Amino acid sequence: MNKKIIYSLVGLALIFFLTSLFIFLKSGSKTNDKKSEPVEQQTDAPVEGPETISVKSFFFAEDSRLMLPVPEEIQLTGIKEQVYRQFVDLLIKGKKNFISPIPEEVTLRTLYLVETQKMLVIDFTEELIHKFPAGTDSELEFIYFFVNNICFNFKEIKQVKFLIGGNEYRTISGHIDIENAFLPDFRYLKLD
Amino acid sequence: MKNKVLSVALLVLFSLPLFSLSINIRSYDHQGYTRVVLEGDTSFEYKMDADSQALEVTLKKRASVENAIQMVQGSKLVDRVVHNWEEEKSVFRVHMKSRFKVKRSFVLEQPFRVVMDLVQNTAPVAVQSDIVKLKAVPQQNQPNNEAPKANLKSEPPAPQNTVAEKPQEDPQPQVTPETQEGEQDVPDEQDLPKKKMPMIQTICIDPGHGGTDLGAVGRSKLMEKEVTLNLGKKLKRLIESKLGLNVIMTRSTDEEVSLNSRVSKANNQKAQLFVSVHVNSSFRRSARGPETYYVSLKATDQEAFRLSQKENSSFEEIEKIAENDNLKMILWNMAQTEHIKESSKLADFIQYELNILMHTRNRGVKQAPFRVLMRAAMPAVLVELAFLSNTGEEKELKDDAFLARAALAIYTGISKYIYYYNNMYR
Repeated sequence: MNKKIIYSLVGLALIFFLTSLFIFLKSGSKTNDKKSEPVEQQTDAPVEGPETISVKSFFFAEDSRLMLPVPEEIQLTGIKEQVYRQFVDLLIKGKKNFISPIPEEVTLRTLYLVETQKMLVIDFTEELIHKFPAGTDSELEFIYFFVNNICFNFKEIKQVKFLIGGNEYRTISGHIDIENAFLPDFRYLKLD
Repeated sequence: MKNKVLSVALLVLFSLPLFSLSINIRSYDHQGYTRVVLEGDTSFEYKMDADSQALEVTLKKRASVENAIQMVQGSKLVDRVVHNWEEEKSVFRVHMKSRFKVKRSFVLEQPFRVVMDLVQNTAPVAVQSDIVKLKAVPQQNQPNNEAPKANLKSEPPAPQNTVAEKPQEDPQPQVTPETQEGEQDVPDEQDLPKKKMPMIQTICIDPGHGGTDLGAVGRSKLMEKEVTLNLGKKLKRLIESKLGLNVIMTRSTDEEVSLNSRVSKANNQKAQLFVSVHVNSSFRRSARGPETYYVSLKATDQEAFRLSQKENSSFEEIEKIAENDNLKMILWNMAQTEHIKESSKLADFIQYELNILMHTRNRGVKQAPFRVLMRAAMPAVLVELAFLSNTGEEKELKDDAFLARAALAIYTGISKYIYYYNNMYR
């Protein structure tokens, strides 16, 4: 009798293991698709290798209403979305003696390019909602800090859309509508 | 036998958490309608809601999908499907490129599918309906021409760049009434009333934030929600006592009111001006001065803004000119589109007064895509009185006398706009 119970449990564990494995493999393939466009478009696209890109970043400063260029140029290497990610991480990290319009706790969850719309979707962690200091100017500073920096450096990106915690939000702190994507406004930039 | 039952029970128990509902979404255009299908790997209960911009399908299960945002390529009507989930619910919001209505919806089995057929709603937006309804308004309900003018006998000084300025185009938008039934019920243009706008009788004041939404908070813990309510109440008293107009408040207490509810209240009660009062905050501590905003399409497209300025164009005409689908969607989504020119004028008048009050150089009337202004079916502005993030201005915002002067400045701006409006449009 005890043996039968043991066999049943072993059988059950085996079924459980196989089911989990099947679901894991299935969901794994879905996760890979998440950052990309429909599969049929991808199969025709050429395989891209890593490339090195020089970027220029702009930050806010206490004594200027405009975003000022940071003197040094930075080299980023990787395939397209890796480079975008490195650049956004660099913006989040901030620059000494400049103002970063981002709460310290906020990090990047993920980002992906919707090529047909020339739109970069950036997904921040939910701390953006919880830690944001509120205020219209704060929201605009945050939005255009990313949109202008990204669109200035990557000509293939024409608009930027924000997600928070994987979801679409109406506003960050009750003012500016972020359901729609943003085009750059280079009037915020102090260009050489 | 007992063991078999035990085994099956354990199997079910182990397996349950692994099986969530998986949803596949697709959309394709048929002749005359667009079909959206939500296919589940198991059956599910759902609820469907629609507004003019989007269709929302709420599932009573937590579903998994491939992408949180799924762009729909090549569809005439559907733009994207956005998936959010909260606790054990999943919400699919189907965003449209233009106004729409649900023609029919039904369920198919094996596999389980919810099918929704959507059509473009070609009836004009609700914004214009008031004007048609005026035909049926009894004479005693017509606005009193004398009251506001009596308080504004001498012409107040006009703000910079607005002196004796006349609209270059006829400011009256072309109007057609809203119908629920579609295009057959849209009357001919000849049936529409001649161009004459009603006198301003009702103003909506919107004190920003409230309740758990504190807004910006200063270093001394002064909260934006307190300042805006105090300022809003002062402004209400001034408008009622000096202009004799009806004032609606979106909130009169420390309560949380959603952005959509605020603008709905103004639209439903037929307010003719919408003034949202806020206090600003910036990551730059030195930022200071008042700002007045009106809504902008610029965040999404400069071209959209140019189109929105064509006040004599109907939505259909604008839509024809609009070159891309995104632009069309934005134009259709914004009830404010038709009032941008007037909103800009109102913002000019208010900002001029605030500059005098705060002794600031003109920070300039600005534009931004404010959620609370977008669907306002009337001229609408958002005033940012001062910066709570600036220590000096925070001190001023604590001072009741300063807020009284600020309310007077905003009131003066509004009254000058009303004077301008009555002369231009009546």
